[in-house]
Amino acid sequence: MKSMMRIACLVAGAALIATPALEAKKAPPKLSGASSAVTPEILDAVAEEMARAMSDLQIGKNPKPYHVSYKLTEVDVNDAVASLGYTTFKKNRHSVIIEARVRVGSPDLDNGNFVHPQDESIDGVVTFPLPLEATPRIAARAAWLVTDQAYKEALVQLRAKLEARQASGTGQTKIPSWSDEAAVVSEAQVEVPALEDLDGMAARAEKLSATLRGLDGIRDSRVAFTSYLERRWYLNSDGTSLSDTRRVSGVLLAVLGQADDGQELAQYYTRYGTTPDDLPDDAALEKSAAKLATTIAALAKAPVLERYTGPVLFEGEGAVGLLRFALAPHLGGTPVPEGLSPQEAKTFGGALTDKVGLRALSPLLSIVDDPTARTGSGKALIGGYKIDDEGVAAQKIDVVQKGMLKALLMSRTPSHKGDRSNGHARRTAPGGMFHGTATNLILSATGGLDRKKLVAKLLAEAKANGLDRAVIIRQFDDPSITAMPEMTRRELLVMLQNHDADLPPPSILVYTVDLKGKETLVRGAQLAEVPLRAWKDVLAAGKTQSVLNFLASGDSYTIQKINTSNEGAVPSSGIESSVTTPDLLFKELDVQPYTAGQRPRPVVPPPSAK
Amino acid sequence: MRRLIAAAVLPAAGLVFVGLGGCPPKRGPIDIPDPIAVGDAGPVDLNDVPSKVETTVIDPITGDSPADRSPLLDIMAKENAREMASLAAEADPAYYLAYQIADTRLVNLEAEGGAIVNDSDDSDRYLDVEIRIGSPELDNSRPLNDENPGLNAPLPRHGIVPFGEDPVAIANHLWLETDRRYREAVQALAYVKQDQATLSKVSDVPDFSREPAEVYVGKPVKLSFDKGQWVDRLRRCSERALKGKATRASCSVVFEETTLYYVNSEGTQLQQSWTSAQLAVSVGVKADDGMGLSRLEQRFGIAPDDLPPDDEVDKMIATVTGDLDALHGAPLGEPYVGPAILEGRAAGVFFHEVFGHRIEGHRQKDTTSGKTFASYVGKEIMPTWLSVYDDATVTTLNGQQLNGFYRFDDEGVRARRVSLVDSGKLVGFLMGRNPIKGFAESNGHGRKQPGLEPVSRQGNLIVTASKTVERNELDDLLIEEIERQGRPYGMVFTDISGGFTNTSAFQPQAFKVEPVMAYRLYPDGHRELVRGVDLSGTPLVALQSIRAASREVETFNGVCGAESGWVPVSASAPSLLLDKLEIELGYIPADRPPVLAPPSIKTSGGAQ
Repeated sequence: MKSMMRIACLVAGAALIATPALEAKKAPPKLSGASSAVTPEILDAVAEEMARAMSDLQIGKNPKPYHVSYKLTEVDVNDAVASLGYTTFKKNRHSVIIEARVRVGSPDLDNGNFVHPQDESIDGVVTFPLPLEATPRIAARAAWLVTDQAYKEALVQLRAKLEARQASGTGQTKIPSWSDEAAVVSEAQVEVPALEDLDGMAARAEKLSATLRGLDGIRDSRVAFTSYLERRWYLNSDGTSLSDTRRVSGVLLAVLGQADDGQELAQYYTRYGTTPDDLPDDAALEKSAAKLATTIAALAKAPVLERYTGPVLFEGEGAVGLLRFALAPHLGGTPVPEGLSPQEAKTFGGALTDKVGLRALSPLLSIVDDPTARTGSGKALIGGYKIDDEGVAAQKIDVVQKGMLKALLMSRTPSHKGDRSNGHARRTAPGGMFHGTATNLILSATGGLDRKKLVAKLLAEAKANGLDRAVIIRQFDDPSITAMPEMTRRELLVMLQNHDADLPPPSILVYTVDLKGKETLVRGAQLAEVPLRAWKDVLAAGKTQSVLNFLASGDSYTIQKINTSNEGAVPSSGIESSVTTPDLLFKELDVQPYTAGQRPRPVVPPPSAK
Repeated sequence: MRRLIAAAVLPAAGLVFVGLGGCPPKRGPIDIPDPIAVGDAGPVDLNDVPSKVETTVIDPITGDSPADRSPLLDIMAKENAREMASLAAEADPAYYLAYQIADTRLVNLEAEGGAIVNDSDDSDRYLDVEIRIGSPELDNSRPLNDENPGLNAPLPRHGIVPFGEDPVAIANHLWLETDRRYREAVQALAYVKQDQATLSKVSDVPDFSREPAEVYVGKPVKLSFDKGQWVDRLRRCSERALKGKATRASCSVVFEETTLYYVNSEGTQLQQSWTSAQLAVSVGVKADDGMGLSRLEQRFGIAPDDLPPDDEVDKMIATVTGDLDALHGAPLGEPYVGPAILEGRAAGVFFHEVFGHRIEGHRQKDTTSGKTFASYVGKEIMPTWLSVYDDATVTTLNGQQLNGFYRFDDEGVRARRVSLVDSGKLVGFLMGRNPIKGFAESNGHGRKQPGLEPVSRQGNLIVTASKTVERNELDDLLIEEIERQGRPYGMVFTDISGGFTNTSAFQPQAFKVEPVMAYRLYPDGHRELVRGVDLSGTPLVALQSIRAASREVETFNGVCGAESGWVPVSASAPSLLLDKLEIELGYIPADRPPVLAPPSIKTSGGAQ
């Protein structure tokens, strides 16, 4: 009955989008089924509160809400972690939250995209947990309370925004605050494969982690499997009513060691997909684990990289990491939120918002971001969805064509008059802002070279610059994965004070290559800040595409390094993303020695020492 | 500054509602005389009948069952010995190394208004490593005099150690955490030595006490319960509790299974295993002026089967809902000084806060602490007919299970009875292995939750009186005191929800406790419930204000939070008459009621 009510809210011309069909499998997997936590009756109760808020919610002569939206999210996660053959963490977590977002003012000027100077949590967005067996009464009450709180916050946020604009002299902007979007209805549940069995995941983690027992030079190691689904329901006062489900399976291997001079070393391997079938089999994972161990042993004796300026080749995951950390944040078209600190504004990205139509990259390169893609280059891509965090249908966007910036990834916060969302809003940025964000980011290159020619070009460029060697980067650190900081309080303090948030994470798999092509493994490399203009000087790209799925985080390197250490570093938090790219050869970049993480060698040898 | 959080302190059961029905209509403002010096009222005529305290005590080593020894203990002992063989020979020598592995299972079920809102069942294994370097006379734990004290403290974390009993996997993680903690300790000791070298006067009180080695193996116990049955019971309970003025009603259980393995370099090897169960019924509502009101009743047991059956749960529901309805209609209290009665469980909480936290030994040593009792050893701090002790080996008191029972503390020291106040005189402190002047040894009170460092904490705090009156005579004595002081009324507190006490030397040595059920008792004998008042004061004055005690002793069970985390505790005390207690208005946060009326879901087909 109440579904009728929600439909009654719809405006004319509501678009309907189809639920993507599951890809055919040899043996159809068991499906997760419908949610027992969020039922149509629950959604009806929320919709009723939304209608009531839109018609009646007002304090005195303050503005009423002009836009209200709700996101209900049900997360069901199985995580298993093991070390040296035995489980260290095994849990299912299952929860539901309701989030209300209220906008006051008008689309031309509202409370949004503003960071309150005293309290960034005053943002017109409020969440509240819902029980797993909520009744309509509980849901209605929760919706009533979160809407009320979000409305009060929105009023404060709008007042502060107006004051800040006046004080900073930016009050004359003509850019609207919120874009008009057509209502969308797609209420059919998206079915996904059921979660893997937790005990089975733990057994697999134990078996794989046992292969890392008794190896010299390894301080610590762990293997983790995750399997989760996230059901979402989105309602807003435009008449949009949507449901979507995201599903991820993942595996993570991490190995830590220590160099002869005491520097901590980390190597990791991750793969994520939308089903367990997307992950490598055990034999392949065992090989990967062995390779990590071999690399750690080699790194322990490897020299520290010397300061270098010259051509750099990014291979495989190194190229993926460069795109992820140094370019992707700037492809968002959401303007930097007013009130964000200059430091946070840098990590927010958005440096290209006034460059659409101009050359941004080398003419060799083109970029597409496609949240509708489920596979790419023969692999599953996890960055996609049906609807974004603002209830806008996902759209494939040609971001860069032959070096020219064609479009940016947009949320409903325009950066120019007339901008519309293209379904890329995700809550990834500092302060929890909704940000136009990369999803499945695909970079392609014309005239791709095979590896031999690519390395030859690298060396020729080095030689032309009078260098006797060049640098190849194959992997960046991912602090959410390698975080097992064996830090003392004082060491932690030093790390917090010294970290430069503008830099990409340290590179953890780096080689120098001499002019004859001989590669030498080095450690301790930190790529300096990569200026956007450097992307215009990409000399060449590889022939084959590397695909990597990962879980992105809006937190800083240091915060991730600290936070994820507590629960045994379970790899299931973050924003589903993927990057596809060929290897990339840059004309000139700076790479500096990275000497952080020095610790005295242990007094006592490990118990397994011979 | 250190701020202690006292317990999720538990309310009294079966609270006396006597006299409530006879309350007079609400009055207008009361004309309160200015606070006056109470003056010496002379001795109260008490009977030579001691308070009733019948306890069951367990010798910590009973039930030793070497056949049930886990291989974990051997793995821990072997790695401990291997580490010490090297670390003790270093320039910064380790002289003590302890490992604790805690296996925990925590089951939490909660229903609200008839629906399950919380259903979790988590098993975890925690590793804690404690290392001391230097010497017991001066080691890495010595607080620095000026620097932020946290900077030299170990960085607590969830030490990761695999489940199971595999020697390779377990030993490697013991080694990793030992290496980190040793490195941390070396850094800390360097700062300690530098600090000590610049002081004009250094303390000669050691940092760590010598204790005998203990070996004990307790049989592992397992939680057992019928989840389906509990879910049904909690659903029904929370439905039944949503009545009267209550807008929120929840019923919950927490079941815990804990097995602790402890090994130290002095030869102590302990395996302790226990379960616990608690049931809570909680209701809440906002008063018309926006003040949040809530009532909570809890029951504790060793196992889920110890928890009360439905008919007793119904009585708990009747108590909390009856109290809540009464509180909803009760007037706000006002700042006041006058005589008061603390009924048994409220008196227990009062002693826990006002006395117990200040008698924790390490607070007499900390340079930033107020050291309220450090100079009072051997002196009278309360009436001579009062004595106080703490005894974690007591399992029941007057037939009721005590929450603060344990056999060995978290530093491997055997639990025992500790006399704190003997006939009014201060005679002891609660001691962990951190010695203080005149008290060189632990008495088994070094406690913590996994992941934190142990400090001295309370276990079962027990207040006894050698002279008493019957409980109902206390009201008469209170009325006499009201009239003697010329006050318009006295106060009776039957339940206290919690509170805090400030022990930092930078702040007044004050306490504040938050009563839930506070009554005015008028000279004509009638009672009037009030809300929104706190008790405050300073400990030395408050303890010396005690005038009489009842023969009956009541127990409050709960958990207490302080710098070493949450630990289960109990406090038992007779009801007490105080000739002067200060009452102040509690904090009432700004009320921002929702703009719209609560949703009606009559059209949604759900439960109303």
